[in-house]
Order: sequence, then structure tokens, then C-alpha cells
Amino acid sequence: MKYSQAEILREYGPFPGADNVHGVTFDGEHVWFASGDKLNAFDPATGETVRAIDVAAHAGTAFDGRHLYQIAEDRIQKIDPKTGRVLSTIPAPGAGGDSGLTWAEGTLWVGQHRGRKIHQIDPETGAILRTIESNRVVTGVTWIDGELWHGTWEDDASEVRRVDPATGKVLETLEMPEGIGVSGLESDGGDRLFCGGGKSGKVRVVKKPR
Amino acid sequence: MDSLITAAARALATGDPLGALKRVALRDDPPALALRGIAMAQLGDFARAKVLLKNATRAFGPKEAVARARCVVAEAEIALVSRDLSFPAKALDAALATLEKHRDWVNAAHARNLEVRRLLLVGRLDGAERALADIDPAPLPPASRAAYELAVAGIAIRRLRTKAARAALARAGQAAREANIPALAAEVESASLVLETPAARLIAQGEARPLLLEEVEALLASQALVVDACRHVLRGEGTVVSLETRPVLFALARALAEAWPGDVPRGTLVARAFRAKHADESHRARLRVEIGRLRAELATLAEVRATKRGFALAPRAGEVVVLAPPVEGQHAAVLALLADGEAWSSSALAIALGASPRTVQRALEALAASDQVRSFGLGRARRWMTPPVPAFPTILLLPGPLPGD
Repeated sequence: MKYSQAEILREYGPFPGADNVHGVTFDGEHVWFASGDKLNAFDPATGETVRAIDVAAHAGTAFDGRHLYQIAEDRIQKIDPKTGRVLSTIPAPGAGGDSGLTWAEGTLWVGQHRGRKIHQIDPETGAILRTIESNRVVTGVTWIDGELWHGTWEDDASEVRRVDPATGKVLETLEMPEGIGVSGLESDGGDRLFCGGGKSGKVRVVKKPR
Repeated sequence: MDSLITAAARALATGDPLGALKRVALRDDPPALALRGIAMAQLGDFARAKVLLKNATRAFGPKEAVARARCVVAEAEIALVSRDLSFPAKALDAALATLEKHRDWVNAAHARNLEVRRLLLVGRLDGAERALADIDPAPLPPASRAAYELAVAGIAIRRLRTKAARAALARAGQAAREANIPALAAEVESASLVLETPAARLIAQGEARPLLLEEVEALLASQALVVDACRHVLRGEGTVVSLETRPVLFALARALAEAWPGDVPRGTLVARAFRAKHADESHRARLRVEIGRLRAELATLAEVRATKRGFALAPRAGEVVVLAPPVEGQHAAVLALLADGEAWSSSALAIALGASPRTVQRALEALAASDQVRSFGLGRARRWMTPPVPAFPTILLLPGPLPGD
């Protein structure tokens, strides 16, 4: 297993009117993050908030190229980013114990926080297609170039780790500095990872190792 | 944090404990147990809240020390608000150390504040003052700052520093309004009433009038020789002579002070000090002995001069006044002792009053029934004190016990 210290490149926030960052996603232009009762978008070049959608947003956030997906209570909402309307909802696989969310190749992947699991589900029905076990609390989840990454955060100890999607085995670990946690996780498609910072209200950019 | 926990925590934070419970009622994982505990506490079911928080504390893993410590702090606050002092101070200390080690300053300060309130409640003013000095209120959220300022005011009032008390109460009020918790603002307001309500009566040259706490402070700083019937002491020129355990001497001193500058006939003194209707020869002999003792106690403050019909006080400087409780009823002596703000055991009161433990017990029960005294603790650890103590918000300002936030 590869092991290294996470390198923080940049910090955004805290953002006015949003004291928590839960889920994080990236639509190619803006970074979206869930702050409890809102989905907020900011420009990663300037850090300026560009818009917000009033929708319950308690945990993970994802983007499939057209829609946003947002966990609220024990459901996953499918949202049209243009209108902010909730188009449909499906039950979340962890029955409310869900934390991270990401989209990959036609399916949704959901982190189950204290269940220490990652579920692959059908985005139409919510049916569980497969489940991977982790050995840590799962916060954010994301797929980057065929690699499955997730965040973990137990008190002061937090890591971003790459796991084998078949076995759940940890392949690589980035240790976050003491006192800095990762709630949501998303890649920018290149070598930057956007990490939600929970109660700190910040979104941090962590360098993805090559 | 997971989704439903986030939703439940948000409900709690907006004062909706039922909404929080609705979301996590059926869950038994540690964060859910902690949230349910806090929600139950806010709904007033302290017993259930304690059990839930205890279970949560136990269930959090070894990597969740902060979450565990916050649960312990919440448990301590519930114990304090329900006046259950059996909560081990050691557990609170350990939780405080954990929170500091993990740089959770806000909850660490909250834990310290609880410790101050506990010390105040058990009547350990010095300890409370020392612990208070360790808190920096500046970074605290408004609700905790209000609680802190109430504790400062509580100590200042006990120490008769009304200016400091007034300033602390003003800051507490400001913080309570910032916190936007009406119950807390109401508590600060009712605490402030102590300063506007007569705290004692002044008896001087045969006339009585009510005194505010501020006036009591000024009086005690003046040249006057004060026979303090609230605390059973004599004060003057920076000296304090305690007659707490000498009720006969105190009764004589008070009778003489009330008559000053006049004298008091022997018969009256015998009646007041010995509660005898007629003074016979043996009473006169006893009076001579007790006056001799009083002379010795008073030596630095005043002389006790013999007159034709009895005795009179002659202070070394200034005038002589009596400071009496605002209301003197049947159990005034007990109230007088409790007025020092300390927590007394009934046996200590019995010794101080020279009364039987059973008599004191009866007096305390009567006073408790009319809300004039309050007790806490059980069995031998039971202690009594007089309300009001403007140091304890009775609403819960619980810490957030959740991990990963």
C-alpha cells in the first residue's frame, strides 16, 4: 500500500450563509457543495459563489453530466441544475446512514458512513447492485479514471484512500493534517481532489498523486 | 456525519427536538444515541437522556475520543441542571482534558463553565473563582458566554461586589440576546432582579428601612459598626468578628445595637438573650458573665458600658447599625446562616445554632416547602442553601456530541 501525507493546494470558504460542507461535486465548470438546506455552486478559479439551489442537502452530492444527485434524510434526490427542481427521488441504500455519493458509468455509488460500506446502486430504482466493505467510516466517495477513492474521518484522524473496487482492499492512503477532516470528495478530472471540510465550512483542494 | 444524523442535528439546532427524534428514533448507533439523548434532555426527560448519553459514550469507538468527551460534558450538564451532584467531577475533568488536547476550545470552555457552576452550587466560592479565571470568554458562542457571565455575576453577588455583578449581568443579557434564546434572556433578567430587590433591612436608631445589595455593600465599606444579623457577625474598621456559633452573644449585641446610642435595661437583655420572662438573680449573674464575654469579643470595635439600668454600646468610631434579613420569620436564624451563600449540611447548621438536628431539620423542611431554601444531594451529602443563585441557567446549552464535524 502506498502511503503519504495529503498536500493541500488551496482552500475555499467558509462561505457566507453556509456553515457546513457535506457533499461536494464538480460539473466541469463549478464546484457544488451541500450545506444542509442548500446546494451551492462556486467558481474554482475565483472562489466566488455563483448560485445556490434551495433543497434539502444533508450528505453526498453527485453530477451525472446533466443532473445533480443529492442525499437528503434517507432519500437521493435527482435535481435539474437549471431549474433547481427535484425531478425524482429514490431510497438511499443505507436508510439514512448514507454519507458520500458519486456517479460513474451509469450507476450511483453511495458511501454508508458508520456501516463502513460503499454500495453501487441503480439510479432509477435505488436497488443495490453490489456492496464493498471498508474498514473505516466512509465519508465522501468518488471515481477518478477507473479508481475508486473515499474519505474517512474519525475525530482528528482523516484520510483520503484509494480502494480496490472488487475487494475493498486499501491501495493508497493520503493522510490529512491533524484536525482537518474530509466530508465530501470529488475529482476535477485532472489531478486535483475537492474535499469538503465539514463544520469548518471550507472546501479544500488536495493534490492527487500520480 | 451521515444524512439523517445531519438532518436530525439541524432540527435540534433550530429548537425542534421532536423533529430530531423523528429522524433517529429507531437507530442505535452512537451518534443517533447521542442525538436522542440531547433531544430527550431538551424535552425534560433527564433520566432517559442520561441513559442514552451513557450508552452513546460507551458505543463511540477509540478513534472518537472527542465525541465521547462531548457526551460526558452533556451528561454533566444534565446532572447539574437537575441538581444531581453525584456526577463524578473526575469524568468531567478527563473530558475537559480530551477536548483541550483535540483543540475543541468551545466545548472545553463549556466543560470548564460547568465545573465553575458545580463549585458554586456546592458553595465553594474560592474554587469557583479560581476555575473561572481559567476561562477566556471571548471565543465562546453567545449562549455559552451568557452562562459564563451569569457565573461571574453569581460570584460577584456572593462577594457583595455589586458593580462587577451589574456589569456581568449586562454582558450576560447582551450575549443571551445574541444567542436569540428567549429562555436564556429571561433567566438573565430574573437573575438581575436580585440587584433591584431589597437584600436586607437596616435598623438604625430605632428605625428600619429596606436596603438594596448595593447599599449593603456601601454600608459594609463605611465606618459604621455593623451588627450583621444576616451572617451573625460583627463588622467594623475592616475587622469581622464571627458570632456564628455564639447565639446568646449575638442576641445581646443585636439588642444593644438596636438601642444605640441609648442603653438597654437588664430585664430586656435577659429576655432577648435567654428568652426568660422575668429576670431573677441567677439570670442577672449569667448576664454579667455573657456581657463579659461579649466585651472580650468586641474589644477592638466597641466598649460595652454599664449604665444605671443596664448596658450600652460605645463604638470606637462611627455609628452602630443592625443589618437584618429582609424578612425575619420563625426560622430566621437558619436563613441567616444560609444567607452566606455557602452550602450547609443540616448538622453544621445545628451546631452553629445550638439547636437539635431534628429542630433544624424541621425548620429546613418548612423553609423548603415555601421555596425559601433549596437542597441538593442525598443522605449525608445533602446540603442546603438559599435561592436565588443567579449563576445557573436552568436551560440546557448542550455541546454538539457528534463525531466528524
